[in-house]
Amino acid sequence: MTTTTTTTEYRKFLPEGIPDSQMPFWESLKAKAVKVQRCDDCGAYLYIPKDICSKCYSTQLTWTPISGHGEVYTYTIVRRAPTPAYQEEAPYVLAHVTMDEGFRMIAKLNTAAPEDVRIGMPVRITYEDVTPEWTLMFFEPAPAATG
Amino acid sequence: MGKLADAAIVGVYQTKQGDLTAKTQPSVWWECVRGACADAGLSVGDIDGLINDGPSGVGLRDMMPAPGLAELLGHPIRFHARNIVGAASSAAGVNLAAYAVTHGLAEVVVVANAVAGQARGYGSVNRDEAVATMAKLSGPYEYVYGTTRVSDYATLAMRHMHEYGTTPEQLAEIAVAQRHGATLHPLSVNGHRGDITVEDVVSSRMIADPLHLLDCCAINQGAGAYLVTTVDHARSLRQTPVGVLGYGEGHNHIDPNAIESLTEFQGAKVSADTAFGMAGVSRDDIDVAGISDHFTIGVLLGLEDAGFCKKGEGGSFVDQGGTSLTGRLPTNTSGGFLSFSHAGMCGIFTLIELVDQLRGNAGERQVKDASLAFLNGVGGAQQAHAAAILGRV
Repeated sequence: MTTTTTTTEYRKFLPEGIPDSQMPFWESLKAKAVKVQRCDDCGAYLYIPKDICSKCYSTQLTWTPISGHGEVYTYTIVRRAPTPAYQEEAPYVLAHVTMDEGFRMIAKLNTAAPEDVRIGMPVRITYEDVTPEWTLMFFEPAPAATG
Repeated sequence: MGKLADAAIVGVYQTKQGDLTAKTQPSVWWECVRGACADAGLSVGDIDGLINDGPSGVGLRDMMPAPGLAELLGHPIRFHARNIVGAASSAAGVNLAAYAVTHGLAEVVVVANAVAGQARGYGSVNRDEAVATMAKLSGPYEYVYGTTRVSDYATLAMRHMHEYGTTPEQLAEIAVAQRHGATLHPLSVNGHRGDITVEDVVSSRMIADPLHLLDCCAINQGAGAYLVTTVDHARSLRQTPVGVLGYGEGHNHIDPNAIESLTEFQGAKVSADTAFGMAGVSRDDIDVAGISDHFTIGVLLGLEDAGFCKKGEGGSFVDQGGTSLTGRLPTNTSGGFLSFSHAGMCGIFTLIELVDQLRGNAGERQVKDASLAFLNGVGGAQQAHAAAILGRV
């Protein structure tokens, strides 16, 4: 097993097997300004990263900044986590969020009050450098988006 | 020749479900295959077709199980194919087997699923190991957050409750009905635990809201096998043949972000519509059903998407024992993944129960005059779907 001193402290799952073509997403997290693929031809946002637009089959996709705001489409409160490292954080909320741009993203929703989470609740993206190599995006409750 | 309906399931066998760590996968595979042959009145040597996995081995033996099987049987295997779609694999196997025997590609095809021994990962009887392994199936964009197979389905259930007012008590009805069936099947993993009530389910430990412990499938080992041949051949064998009257698949999505709805799955609808269309029967004709039930919500979604009720009406359909042995559509009558077995390509147990029902062999679980059955298999979290109509022929 390959370990480094920088990752031994972090015991949760890190991304593995990410192809180079998807690294712009992870680099955008590191820059704390998430970018998602957008189809040049039809304007659809695509997440997770794709090689072809599922709306019009174009392969002309451009990494595009997004607002980072959205609302909860569905969620769950995890009580039984996959590993002991995740269990230490339980109960925690996983949310599918409809972003203001009209597509959905999944992430953990950081909140001190899991029981207060509701479908339709406004949330926004936040970032955490979980290791020197990897930054993850999370959601957190937000005031209602303007406009 | 050439119609699936000219194929029939003629032999079935399943082991006691639970902890088979004292045995090995190949020994259990052979136990099931020999048992299915004995049930059918066939010899193991009659087998000339294989679907999905054979006795496990290393390297080529796993990649190409048919040559190894041929070597042991002493004659060529004439057809091998795989359709590995999780729990749906065994339902999907019935189509491949039926194709082979109705096209002269093989005469007797075996489909088996065996999980036993010191299996690791999903096949482990160690719950922590199985849960951790399955959690990573969804890929890095989800697993980094601590998703689990339960959370994948819990988000579907939460959305269904939001859109349609489905209640935890309605989901619990599914678990209650299936546990009762399991208490009437001596090979089930959870039947010995006895009957449960709606109150038991909704007061059991929450795993991922709104799914409780008793909304979740078992984690266990086990094995089963079935044999398919032509209806003509089947007429000379021991058992009442169970015909493959219709079949359909619908592969839906892999990324839950990428589909419009997480409460309505077009792939499930397409699979059911194709199967019903081929069989030329209607939903009202179905006497008994087997629907993939990794979690209670799976049954509810499956009933809706297969067209047994309208979208959103699954809650009232399953309420008051709707899927119980005496309900409007007895479903997963041996207990399903929740209470019979969730070992490997566990749709095989769903299928075998339907065969028992259609033969009139289901004992105290018998649905009166069952002559037509609907089988649904789901891979992943409503991601891949297979459907079949089985009936006495």
